[in-house]
Amino acid sequence: MGDYKFAKDKLAEVLSALEEYEVFAPEAIGDVLRFKAVSDPAGVNLDDYDNTTVPPKELMFPQTETLFKYRLGQTDVEPELPDPSSKRVVVGIRPCDALAYTIVDNLYGWDFPDPYYQKRRESTTLVGLACAVPCSTCFCPSVGGAPASEKGLDALMFDLGDVYYVKALTDKGEEFGRAAGLEAAGDAESKAAAKQGEDALAKVPRSIETTGIPEHLPALYDDTFWEQFSDRCLSCGICTFLCPTCHCFDIQDECESFDGRRARMWDTCMFAEYTRHTSGHNPRPTRKERTRNRISHKYSYFPEKFDVIACVGCGRCIKNCPVNIDILDILEKSKQAGAKEAKTA
Amino acid sequence: MVDEKKLQDKAKETLIRDDVRRLIGWKRSTYGYEAAPAVLTDASQADQLIFDPTCVQNLASFISLEEKKPVARGAEPDTRKIAVMVKGCDSRAIVQQLVEKAYSRDDVVVLGIPCMGVIDRRKAEKLFGETAGQVSAKVDKEKVAVDIEGDVKTVDRKDILMDKCLRCRYPNPLVSDFLLGEEVEKWADDDFADVDDFEKMSPEEKWKHWDEQFSKCIRCYSCKSVCPMCYCVECVVTQLKPQWTRRSTDISENTAYHIQRAWHLAGRCIECMECQRVCPVDIPIMTLNRKMTRDVKEMFDYEPGVDPEGEPMLASYNPQDPEDYIM
Repeated sequence: MGDYKFAKDKLAEVLSALEEYEVFAPEAIGDVLRFKAVSDPAGVNLDDYDNTTVPPKELMFPQTETLFKYRLGQTDVEPELPDPSSKRVVVGIRPCDALAYTIVDNLYGWDFPDPYYQKRRESTTLVGLACAVPCSTCFCPSVGGAPASEKGLDALMFDLGDVYYVKALTDKGEEFGRAAGLEAAGDAESKAAAKQGEDALAKVPRSIETTGIPEHLPALYDDTFWEQFSDRCLSCGICTFLCPTCHCFDIQDECESFDGRRARMWDTCMFAEYTRHTSGHNPRPTRKERTRNRISHKYSYFPEKFDVIACVGCGRCIKNCPVNIDILDILEKSKQAGAKEAKTA
Repeated sequence: MVDEKKLQDKAKETLIRDDVRRLIGWKRSTYGYEAAPAVLTDASQADQLIFDPTCVQNLASFISLEEKKPVARGAEPDTRKIAVMVKGCDSRAIVQQLVEKAYSRDDVVVLGIPCMGVIDRRKAEKLFGETAGQVSAKVDKEKVAVDIEGDVKTVDRKDILMDKCLRCRYPNPLVSDFLLGEEVEKWADDDFADVDDFEKMSPEEKWKHWDEQFSKCIRCYSCKSVCPMCYCVECVVTQLKPQWTRRSTDISENTAYHIQRAWHLAGRCIECMECQRVCPVDIPIMTLNRKMTRDVKEMFDYEPGVDPEGEPMLASYNPQDPEDYIM
């Protein structure tokens, strides 16, 4: 695979050269960043941004999407699938968010392969941007990532001051390099990038030893352990909606008089109505059960089924929680509580 | 200043009482510029309680956040009180909840705290950057000293306190059973300059502004979840049968949500600013609430959350009430 580079002030030109692609990049409204389709390449700024506020999971799994439309009297419906011939490239995705796709792929390719998600995944090229300065809530190395992790990416860029060094990692990445008309990089850039990756790794502020957590969490199922955190939970959707691996959705019909659509939209296990039955019974009646579910799903149920922890250490749930429910704090304390529980059992 | 030792002692004394089942206060968070709410059930936990300018959350919200589980047959419901610590602004939520009969005065023990302002996390991060370390702070009449793991930075109050503090008219609790600290002098007033500024915009500019802001909304409902006045057991925006608000996110549904939310707070918002603080996508929600606050004040001479003996605005009637807004 090739190594490429381009001058940082040529970013707009490089993006403009990607005519055959729909290009996505972070866009800022005030301090809030989100990946958006680029309308003006000159307006794209990849400097000084941490993780986007809303993760790019929405590029594969939009918050609201139409599955199909229908009309009264119509007997068959056609799914509104994404166009598989369209080509998309995401420029500047952080390694943790790319890693998240590889985790969610397990779910959407499992018992029922989800064509909406999968078609978008297949048609999208992921060009990452390595983190030189990790955020204050990051812990990616603890869960299989790194500030310069290549997992799930087609190419990885490094900001080396005046130039972006671009390392192609897959055929799709090579194709991106060719389409963008990038020049070949040399040893100097490759070495500087490797050094930056190592330095950034050393700067990741937080960590957790995950060994044993998936096994001991179930022992705490009925424990009062969860209440010290759930008692201050607001039951809002911040932690799950902003999580790059949270993938739950609700399906609803939205009808006018004769027309309607079946749509799916993000849902969250932190809302009480998520598990409320038609009868009114709710198997997760309080914030305790809901908090337990969020943590256990990521660190126990998902690894049990797919052999991978459903967390990439991006830190968004920690950073955006208004009441300091800190997943690392919960996991760390669960080790002591879990050990105690195992002893008494 | 509040003496933390005295605060902890009072908390212990309260938790030991037979008629109190939990106490809500603040404790040091795991990191960053905001403290964490602490819900305690045992006096032995009281040592973790703190009060300083990082104690930003309005704990009155947590009274109604506790889910009421069905009581087992033959068992008595737990009717013991909840003790809650409140700053001046937060205490208005208790007053308004009482006025609306959300619960009765006997259900709560109010531990009031005179306050000299709390830190705006966003301002702090702009000034000092993000931190993975623990933060404490001190405030006096002019300055705020922020201690980031031993590194003390001093800054003017106006540069770091929340906007609500810079126009605070109620630094002392308006309802309390015990006051934890000396009353402080009022230092500010509210001239609604922010509302004036907003009203200078043309209708087109306002639409553009709200279009951009509401487009960002991810409908996580943190603004309504944290609101001390949003205590309905079933919220109209999340109700599924009948469904009044669609769950899909688009500018139309998002706008409908925010208008409903604002209107349901007319004459009820006590301006603790929690909705805007918690918003992960920085929607300036308080602009709507503030406009409503001023209209209510000017039209009905009503201010929510200040008079425990008062009536809810929308439940009272006066033949002289203006009706200019009715077409």
